[in-house]
Amino acid sequence: MNAAAMVGRVRPRRPVLLVLSAVLTGAVTLAVVAMHGRDAQLSEAQQVQQIASGLHCPVCKDLSVADSPAPLAQQMRDEIARKVRAGESADQIRADFVAAYGDSVLMTPPRRGFSATAYFLPTIVMVMGLAIAVMLVRRWVRGAAPGPDDDEPSPLSASQRRAVQKAVARLREEEPA
Amino acid sequence: MGQLGTYALLLGLALAGYGAVAAAFGARTARPALVDSARRSAFGLFATVAVVNGAMLVALLRNDFALRYVAENSSRQTPAFFRVLSLWAADDGSLLLWNLILAGYIAAVALRFRRDRPGTFPYALSVLFVVQAFYLILVNGPARPFATLPNPPADGTGPAPLLQNHPLMAVHPPFLYLGFIGFTVPFAFGIAALLAGHGTDAWVSIIRRWTLVVWCFLTIGLLLGALWSYSVLGWGGYWAWDPVENVALLPWLLSTAFLHSVMLQERRGMARLWNIGLVIGAFSLTTFGTFLTRGSVLSSVHAFTQTAVGPAYLAFLAVVMLVGFGLLVWRLPALRGPARLDSAISREAMFVGNNMLLLAATAIILVGTVFPLVVEAVSGEQITVGGPYFKGAVTPVFLLLLLLAGTAPLLPWRAANRARALGRLRVPVVAAALVMVATALAGVRQVTAVAGFGLATLVLVANGQEIVHGLAVGRRGGRGGVVRTLLRGRRRYAGFVVHIGLAMVAAGITASSSLGRQVDVTLKTGQSTVFAGHILRYEGLRTDEQPQRIVLSARVKVDNVGGGDAGMLDPRMNLYPAASTPIGSPSIRRGAIWDLYASLTSLQEDGDSATFRFYRNPGVNWLWFGGFVMALGGVAAAWPVRRRRDDQPPPAAARTRAAVEVGAV
Amino acid sequence: MRNILRRRTVLLGSVVAVVTAIVVLLSTGLGRDPSSTASPLIGRAAPDFTLPRLDGPALTLSTLRGQVVVINFWASWCTECHTEQAALAQTWKKFRDSGVVVVGVNFQDTTRDARDYVRTAGVSYPVVEDTNSRTALAYGLRGVPETFIVDQAGRIVDRIIGPVDATRLSDTISSLLAAGPR
Repeated sequence: MNAAAMVGRVRPRRPVLLVLSAVLTGAVTLAVVAMHGRDAQLSEAQQVQQIASGLHCPVCKDLSVADSPAPLAQQMRDEIARKVRAGESADQIRADFVAAYGDSVLMTPPRRGFSATAYFLPTIVMVMGLAIAVMLVRRWVRGAAPGPDDDEPSPLSASQRRAVQKAVARLREEEPA
Repeated sequence: MGQLGTYALLLGLALAGYGAVAAAFGARTARPALVDSARRSAFGLFATVAVVNGAMLVALLRNDFALRYVAENSSRQTPAFFRVLSLWAADDGSLLLWNLILAGYIAAVALRFRRDRPGTFPYALSVLFVVQAFYLILVNGPARPFATLPNPPADGTGPAPLLQNHPLMAVHPPFLYLGFIGFTVPFAFGIAALLAGHGTDAWVSIIRRWTLVVWCFLTIGLLLGALWSYSVLGWGGYWAWDPVENVALLPWLLSTAFLHSVMLQERRGMARLWNIGLVIGAFSLTTFGTFLTRGSVLSSVHAFTQTAVGPAYLAFLAVVMLVGFGLLVWRLPALRGPARLDSAISREAMFVGNNMLLLAATAIILVGTVFPLVVEAVSGEQITVGGPYFKGAVTPVFLLLLLLAGTAPLLPWRAANRARALGRLRVPVVAAALVMVATALAGVRQVTAVAGFGLATLVLVANGQEIVHGLAVGRRGGRGGVVRTLLRGRRRYAGFVVHIGLAMVAAGITASSSLGRQVDVTLKTGQSTVFAGHILRYEGLRTDEQPQRIVLSARVKVDNVGGGDAGMLDPRMNLYPAASTPIGSPSIRRGAIWDLYASLTSLQEDGDSATFRFYRNPGVNWLWFGGFVMALGGVAAAWPVRRRRDDQPPPAAARTRAAVEVGAV
Repeated sequence: MRNILRRRTVLLGSVVAVVTAIVVLLSTGLGRDPSSTASPLIGRAAPDFTLPRLDGPALTLSTLRGQVVVINFWASWCTECHTEQAALAQTWKKFRDSGVVVVGVNFQDTTRDARDYVRTAGVSYPVVEDTNSRTALAYGLRGVPETFIVDQAGRIVDRIIGPVDATRLSDTISSLLAAGPR
């Protein structure tokens, strides 16, 4: 008897517990990593990397100052490092570059004024999408009123019923149900 | 050549116009002969457009600089291979390729339906010809590739340096076009079905396979684009959230949603409206994508230089959306179908979730891409919406999609026995939890990365488990049982394979986004540095003079820290006469787990000193491999099956078919 | 039945409205040049700098307060910079005795190449080197050539991207001189 057949024969014993504990383990792991990440102290190089990846390389299309191989981006990274060593905060450094280049030097929209709506958008879309999906599934499970062209299947004869049963049995073999 | 091309284009336009009118008129007045003549003209159209493309190819190869396009995009020094590729290097030339592929699709439709004609065929054919006519008007009017110069120069300026740097230029645009343009076919049939006002179920069975094939092309096209970005552009990444990249992804997302929700219509007769809406949306997005790429509205790596065709594309987009969605709303009462689910824990319900998530991702990416335009229109400010925004906004959506891809295949249709479903979830969920703990212990700091690895494992194990289980059942059926099971459940197993490919892609993206390292270092000749377990020594600069460019290679010797030769890296700078700054080419040592990637950022003191960027990129090859597996799965699902009367029909449609067959008995 | 028809008309109307809105939005994008960006520096104080001359002592911008200063960022490898050299030389000749200074700032270049260029082109106004591009970054430079016109009080009044036009330079300088030191 091969392994796959054995797995198929063994009755699932309390799968709820196993699945639940696995899910819980995963959730706890994520929580721990999240909290650990928040406390982490960044080295100077990491700080420069973080600030640089939030700035748009002015002579490139799409690339951040961190990613860009352009010489000007390299010099911007040096300048950021100098400012970090001088004790400027990340917000101050970003503000310095915005003063020279304008808001478009930030890789993400500024969080004030009309541009800030960009940050609400994903949450609103997800919440709305979730609400609509849940609403639809619930409505459909309860059984919506049939549409104008919903036709009742005509009653089957005995031989037709047998043929249907045979076809369904074949499918049952392969499907998880 | 110019004359031949111009006249052939006019002929093509005439044929397309005839086809559109004849097909529509033939449908209206019930004259099958007229429809058939329109069908046959599709072949004539394809031949004509092929001649046009051939004319341009010959002009490029023969250095016919009297043609403005050849003078601007080719030169005597350009190697013959890249001269051929110059056909799609610039806007007006690539429109010729676009027309060719579109004509090819129309000819394929004409061929496919030469005998059995669904009711939607005539109007669909007409719509296809109308779209073709639009693109032919563009090449005859605003964008004229065969325009001649009064004083032909002795030599051309050559294609843009970036476009003649790498052979990938040969395949990325064609596959992308095959994907993009292919959405015209489902759209045409969708419009035809709406015009007819009924028979949308037959429409689905025609369209599903076409959309699947187009989806495969688009998957490969996107993959090749990412591969290009990685191997050619030299910044160590593969996706920059460039506006043109984003709009190419959107139809892919919508068509993925369609390929799932179409099963709702096949099995339960539900979501008819929704499916047609998705198809119209996908085509609208490809038209919008064309507009964005060629209308030079947003700054992009891909943007063709400013052309006069922007308003034309915008007008066409408006017509497409008005006609498509207008018709959809018009037919609203007729399309409303029965909607019933047996349980919230079923594959059908998961498909609703899948569609919602894919639509959400599409909306977020679309709005994010055009947001700079909106802000500038509203307040006049100029802002950038770049990678960090999209990554933050879209990652949760994709993680949830992975969750669905790992659980939905384990759920049956209609209703799940809760204990049974949980039983099937055991192994995948435990595997996922173990991987998450392992990655957290290994020191991965980002929550999204740990979640990404865990969910990728879930998808991989869950879908793998289903394949193994199915094959085990098939094994019990005696000799050849496995093969029969695979063939009968082709669509199901192909779906599992696509999900497994997706898991690999997800793992690759997670690994490269969170575990990558890079270092900037300046080395004098003979100096070495240690990075990622290797000793990298700069050996010197080598100059290679080629007809079309000068190549400066910085040779770097790679040795393992523990001893042992690991080869050479030679990142290059290419100096083209047309470019004021050099174009860099990276050097990559690809490995199963990670790539060692080198980029030459600058040279000092005539090459005695060079500044490099070295990257350690994990998981990138899982991306390419996983994407290939996804496309393979798609091809397997779309492969036509020889329908034998006495043998069992494919189970995908078996439930509905069982009733039909039984009725015929 | 009437309800369905009314709902249909409303929906149709909203489709038309949405499509129109989208088209209007996208057409605003048609007119603009996607690569041009406005500068936030105009009207603000010009960032001060102290940079070494190609041959000679360092030059500090604030010492030039009271004069109109034309700051021109350039590089020897930049072909467009060659084309504007004539306009700059002309402006320098015309205004150098009227309280106007032209300062060339060399960007991402080598000292040797910069000196060669200055010698061949016969540049007579002061030229300084911005080796680590700190000044270029402070001025929001996106490429060369770029020229800034600073008034007598040290405020930036104009920024020209690309090769300068002698007439535009001369007009702006003349109006600044006429307004007098503020």
